[in-house]
Amino acid sequence: MGDVVLAIETSCDETAAAVVHGRRIVSNVVASQAELHSVYGGVVPEVAARHHLTTVNAVVDRALDDAGMGLGDVDRIAVTRRPGLIGALLVGVATAKALAYAARKPLVMVDHLHGHVAACWLEPLALDPPFVALTASGGHTRLDLVHDYAAPQLLGQTLDDAAGEAIDKGARLLGIPYPGGPGLEALAREGDATAFDFPVGLRSRGPGELDFSYAGVKTALLYATRDLGDHGVQARRADLAASYQEAIVRPLVDRLMLAADRNGVPAVSIGGGVAANGRLRELVEAAAAERGLRVAIPDRALCTDNAAMIAAAAAFTPAIAWPDFVGEDAMATAPPGGIAA
Amino acid sequence: MTTFALDTATPDPALAIVDGDDVLAEASLARIPGGGRRVLEAAHDLFTQAAVAPADIDDIVVGVGPGGFTGIRIGIATALGLGQALGIPVQGASTLEALALGIAGEEARSGAQGEPVLVAPVIDARRGQVFAAAYLVGPSGGVEVVIAPAAWDPADFATALAAAGPCVVAGDGADLVDLPASARRAPAGAADRVPAVRLVQRVRAGGARPVAPEYLRLPDAEENRLRRLREEAPA
Ligand SMILES: [Zn+2]
Repeated sequence: MGDVVLAIETSCDETAAAVVHGRRIVSNVVASQAELHSVYGGVVPEVAARHHLTTVNAVVDRALDDAGMGLGDVDRIAVTRRPGLIGALLVGVATAKALAYAARKPLVMVDHLHGHVAACWLEPLALDPPFVALTASGGHTRLDLVHDYAAPQLLGQTLDDAAGEAIDKGARLLGIPYPGGPGLEALAREGDATAFDFPVGLRSRGPGELDFSYAGVKTALLYATRDLGDHGVQARRADLAASYQEAIVRPLVDRLMLAADRNGVPAVSIGGGVAANGRLRELVEAAAAERGLRVAIPDRALCTDNAAMIAAAAAFTPAIAWPDFVGEDAMATAPPGGIAA
Repeated sequence: MTTFALDTATPDPALAIVDGDDVLAEASLARIPGGGRRVLEAAHDLFTQAAVAPADIDDIVVGVGPGGFTGIRIGIATALGLGQALGIPVQGASTLEALALGIAGEEARSGAQGEPVLVAPVIDARRGQVFAAAYLVGPSGGVEVVIAPAAWDPADFATALAAAGPCVVAGDGADLVDLPASARRAPAGAADRVPAVRLVQRVRAGGARPVAPEYLRLPDAEENRLRRLREEAPA
C-alpha cells in the first residue's frame, strides 16, 4: 500500500499540489501561470514568485479536498527544493516546512528532476527499472539510466539551451506566441521537415556522445530567416517550423536509443514538457518498436510540471524527521550529475 | 489568547510569542545568513524557549512589508502554512507601522512622554531607494499617516520630511537619507529593528492588513512592459 504523501511543487510557473498513496495518484492539482507570463514572452521570476504566494495555500487545500483527506491523514509532506527559480522555490519550501512543522509530520526535500524520472513509477504506467529516461523541458534536457528509482544515473545532458527553450526561441523567431510548443508543432505538421538542413553540432562517438547542444540550431534558424527576408519567411513558415522541430527532436530520439542500446535496457521513458510533442512521441515509438523496447510516456499532466511526480520521487528520498527540517532551504541549482538527494 | 508574530521584511527577522499583554518570548535576530530563509528555525527555537507548542497558538500576525520581496514572501508563506495546518486565523500588519510604533516606544522610554510624536521609519529598499513613511504616533499607540508609504529616492523623502515638521527617523535605511534640519536620527540600535510585538499591538488596535505583500514596487519586467506601452501609445 505505501504511505500517503502530500507534495508541493513551485519551481517554475506552475503552482502544484498532489496527494499520492503508494503508487496511486489520489489528487493532482496544477494552477498554471502560463497565461500570466505570455505578455512578457517568457517566465518572469519575480512575477512567478508573487503568483505562487497568492495561490499555493488554495492549491494545497484543493489537493486535500479532492483526495477527501485532511492534513492528519498525510504521512509525509514533500516539496521541490531544487533546481528552479529561487524566489519561486522558496514560496513552496516555506509553505511545506510550515505545514509539516505545525502538523508535526516528516518533510521530504525533493529534486525536481528526480520527480520527472519518478513520474513513470506512478500507476497506471508503474514502470519498473531498468530503463533509460529522457527528460526534456524548457529548463532541462538530460538522459538518466535508472536501475533504482532512488539513484538515477546521469548519462548525458544539454551543454547549452534546453530543448524546450530552443523550441520557444525558434517559435518566437517564427512569430508564434509564447509558449511556442503547441503552435510550432501545429505549424510543423503543414510543412516539410527536410526542406531546411539545420545542423545539430553533436559528437557522434566517445565521451559526450550522449550530450545535447541546441545553441547552433537556434542560430541556424535565425540566419535562415534573415536570408529569406520577411516575405520568404511568411511563404515558408511551415517548412521552417517542420525542419526546426525535426532538428530538435531527432537528437533526443537518437541519443535515447543509443543510451538504451549501450545499456541493454528493455524500456525507455520520456518526460518533461517536451514529451507532449507529438513528433517526438511518434519518432520514439517507431525507434523503440524496431528494437522491441517498451516506451513509457506519462500522461500529459504528469509530463509537464506537477506535484504528483514530486510525491513519487519522495518515495525514494529519505524523509527528515520533525523538527530537524526547520533549517532546510531551497537551492536554485542542483549539484552536477546526481539528481537524488 | 496566544499570538505568534513574525516579520521577515528586513534582513533581521523578528519574532514574538505574546499571551494577552505578556510577551512570552521575543527574538530580534542579528543579520543571519539567508535572512528570512532561517525564520522557521528561529521560530522553533522561540517555541522551545517559551515552552509553547505550535498547537497552543491561537492566532498569527505577520508583517506584510514593505521590504525585501523574497523575505516578505517567506514570512507570509510561513505564517499562512502554519495557520492552514493549525486551522487558526492569520492577520497582516504593516512592517513600517510596527517600526514606527517601535521608534515611538524608544522615544517614550528615553524621556518624551505624553505627546504625540512624528516618526519616520525607513527601510533600505536597495537600488538607492528607501521604503519610508511618516506617522504621528499617539501616546496610546494610535497611528496616523502623515507621509504615505512608498519607494522613495532618499532626496525626495528628505524633502517630504522637511515639509512635515520635527520628526524622529530610524530603521535600517535611515542612514541613506540626508536628513533635513527638522529631523533627528534616533540613536542607532533598538529603534532600527522591526519589533514583532508591535505587529500584534497594531492588529489589536484595529490596524490589521490583508495577508498579502505590500511590495510598493512592480516587478522590473512589468515596469518595462508598461514603459514600452506608454512609449508606443500615440502622443
Ligand atoms: Zn520540470
